[in-house]
Amino acid sequence: MGRYLSVQAATSAGPQAAGRRRPRPAAPLLVLMPALVLLPLSLLLPGLLHGGGLELIGRFLLAALTPSLDPLLLGSLLSGLAVTLGMALLGWATSLVLGVLLGVASARVVWRTLLGQAWPAGLVRRLLAVPRAIHELLWGLLLLQLVGLQPVVAVVAIAIPFGALVARVVADLLDGLDRSRLEALQSAGSPAPAALLTALGPPLLPGLLSYCGYRLECALRSATLLGVFGLGGLGTELRLTLQSLEFRELWSGLWVLLAVMLLLESLLGALRRRWLMPRRLSLSAGGVGRRGREMVIVVLALLPLCLLVARALGVDPRGLLQGQGLQAFAGAGPLWPGPALLSLPWPALIGGTLSLTLLAAALAVGLPPLQLLLAGRSRAARALVRLSWALARLWPPPLTALLLLLLLQPGVVTAALALGLHNAGILGRLLDEGLSDGGAERQQALACAGAGPRLALLYGRYPAIARPYLAYGAYRADVILRESVVVGLVGATGLGSQLLESLSSFAWDQLLALVLAYVALTLLGEELSDRARRRLLSSS
Amino acid sequence: MAAAALLELQEVQVEGRGAPRLAGVSLAIAAGERVALLGPSGAGKSTLLAVANGLLPPSSGALYWQGAAPARSRRARRRQQARIGTLWQDLRLIEELSVQQNLNAGRLAVWGWPRALLNLLLPLDTEANTAVLQRVDLTADLLCQPVSALSGGQRQRVAIARLLRQGPALLLADEPLASLDPRLAAALLQLLLAEGAAPRALLLSLHRPDLLAGFDRVLGLRAGRLLFDLPAASLSGPAGAAELAALYRGEQLDQDGDSLPAGPSVASAAASAVSATPWAGT
Repeated sequence: MGRYLSVQAATSAGPQAAGRRRPRPAAPLLVLMPALVLLPLSLLLPGLLHGGGLELIGRFLLAALTPSLDPLLLGSLLSGLAVTLGMALLGWATSLVLGVLLGVASARVVWRTLLGQAWPAGLVRRLLAVPRAIHELLWGLLLLQLVGLQPVVAVVAIAIPFGALVARVVADLLDGLDRSRLEALQSAGSPAPAALLTALGPPLLPGLLSYCGYRLECALRSATLLGVFGLGGLGTELRLTLQSLEFRELWSGLWVLLAVMLLLESLLGALRRRWLMPRRLSLSAGGVGRRGREMVIVVLALLPLCLLVARALGVDPRGLLQGQGLQAFAGAGPLWPGPALLSLPWPALIGGTLSLTLLAAALAVGLPPLQLLLAGRSRAARALVRLSWALARLWPPPLTALLLLLLLQPGVVTAALALGLHNAGILGRLLDEGLSDGGAERQQALACAGAGPRLALLYGRYPAIARPYLAYGAYRADVILRESVVVGLVGATGLGSQLLESLSSFAWDQLLALVLAYVALTLLGEELSDRARRRLLSSS
Repeated sequence: MAAAALLELQEVQVEGRGAPRLAGVSLAIAAGERVALLGPSGAGKSTLLAVANGLLPPSSGALYWQGAAPARSRRARRRQQARIGTLWQDLRLIEELSVQQNLNAGRLAVWGWPRALLNLLLPLDTEANTAVLQRVDLTADLLCQPVSALSGGQRQRVAIARLLRQGPALLLADEPLASLDPRLAAALLQLLLAEGAAPRALLLSLHRPDLLAGFDRVLGLRAGRLLFDLPAASLSGPAGAAELAALYRGEQLDQDGDSLPAGPSVASAAASAVSATPWAGT
């Protein structure tokens, strides 16, 4: 998804209805406007401080510089990391297989070529919206309750929503491809499946590869997050050290995680550049063959690797069919609405979730451009901002939430801070990528005319990036809505908190109703964010 | 005592890969002088202009703006740079913003943050912007249009209008006439020459020696060195022809319109080009 920004930046400038007099914020201002949320936030925060914990936060920050180097601890951290990496890899690989198959099954062009009509694609698409709308944490906790703690739970929890997400992207990519080659092959008499594979396979590959790389990063983040909720691996270690206030040990884990995350990001970035941007040297046909061979080797190596990892972790799909939870679930009696459902404070729950989402989204979208602007031309400040993004990105939001609880009272604002900061790290990296893609000349011209470095950045670089960035922000808001369950453990944050509560008290009917409410809300949010995105990208 | 030159370079050297891009260039431009910088491609014209507007610090030698060396303090240096306006070959307008916002971007050096932000929300300084648009023969109804909706000729003029809003003492222009059709080029040149008159000065780099009418001085740059620095009038005689021949020695003279023109009459060539391209112009 990272490359989206650069592609769309080029096409964002379109004609505009002339003669509009209504004051309308221009592009660079639009980018900064979400940051206005900081004003009410700075008024609210002092009221939320509960007075204690300052000393603890100080100790936490100091511990960053003196992480524990105890070999015993490092050993257990590394084995936890191996488990997390293994879960991420397996969940990711499974989701790719699922996603590509389901994606093909929900692409209109495929059905139209095979059957002559496209309605089955729409049906599959709509069905897939449900697994997509439920966050992997929710899948994980549900499965945990049903089949007990097994390594396979985390893998499946990642694979289900990720598979549905990949399917959507694959279907969109397939339907967006140029169809002339397919039609040419068909009119030449090749059978439909062969024509599909030949005409659509190769052009699908670059977009698919780029997105798969991005999903692997997401899978690592998700596997860590699932660990925080007790599904094993590094996340579990992190939560235990945090809860016992062993900050130096916590930081050992965080630095290890940061190193792995940055390594993975740069590795994927290098592969993306190597495989997907061959245009500069594409004159030699040998280049293409080499790339193709490399890709095949990597894909072939993935299969035995996955099997080995599955064996080492003891992942066994048969485990999903047994467990006492399943029987308890079957014997739980009628699931359908009882009086307990009506007693839930629905307006407050939904209102809490929505305000949490909006607040977190505004923070996530507004912070990165403001931070870059404040950093100005100073290299050190910019490096610091980037480091803060990297940390925020890899840091599971519930951990931030727990940390914030040391200072702040539980509630929507605390949860939104945790979620917003995490997503700001993701959007910040994207903004950085988008900015490095071009626009230096205009910034230079303004600086040469005497504008300060910050104003030159605001006027020179932000206009071109504004719309694609905000469009991605709209997509991110949708993700944040889904993720809001993750910070439910902070308490009093709407649906998420209630859901975790119902889950731990085995109130299946409540749980089902809450999940359905989440699904409905997420689908609505998806629709709204899609519309906002289309509007942002089409008009200027 | 005469006023200090608007721009002065003393023995300016800029190192490049292998050969220096500028090798010991010295020149001074006083108020009211309109100077053409002539030379084949790769002579170092763009480098010289980049040194002149402060983008490129010279490896050695000295640079003076209105008699003062570039200030150490960033703030003071920005004030100096605000007095030098550059017309870039690619214009570097901000496509996504309106014409009015683009024109006001010329004031960013003196505006503080509040006005800079307000400019992105409300139409500011409409009168001043209308005035500069009129000076470049454009009307005020363009103000609220985004730059992306303008024609090529309109963009050129808006870029010059932004320059005027900046209020510079010295105008620099890097090959502004390249890639323009002859009629447009001639009109743009007239505009720049008019705006470069006293008390301002103009330094304009050119590929073509056929457009020198109206300049006061001509500098010939070749391989990073100044070959000549002559009054424009003296280049029209036979001595001038020899100087030009030396400047363009070894260049393909009849390659295209960008090079030294082979034909005798530029005016007739321009006239035929105009009739061949009725859509040209603003």
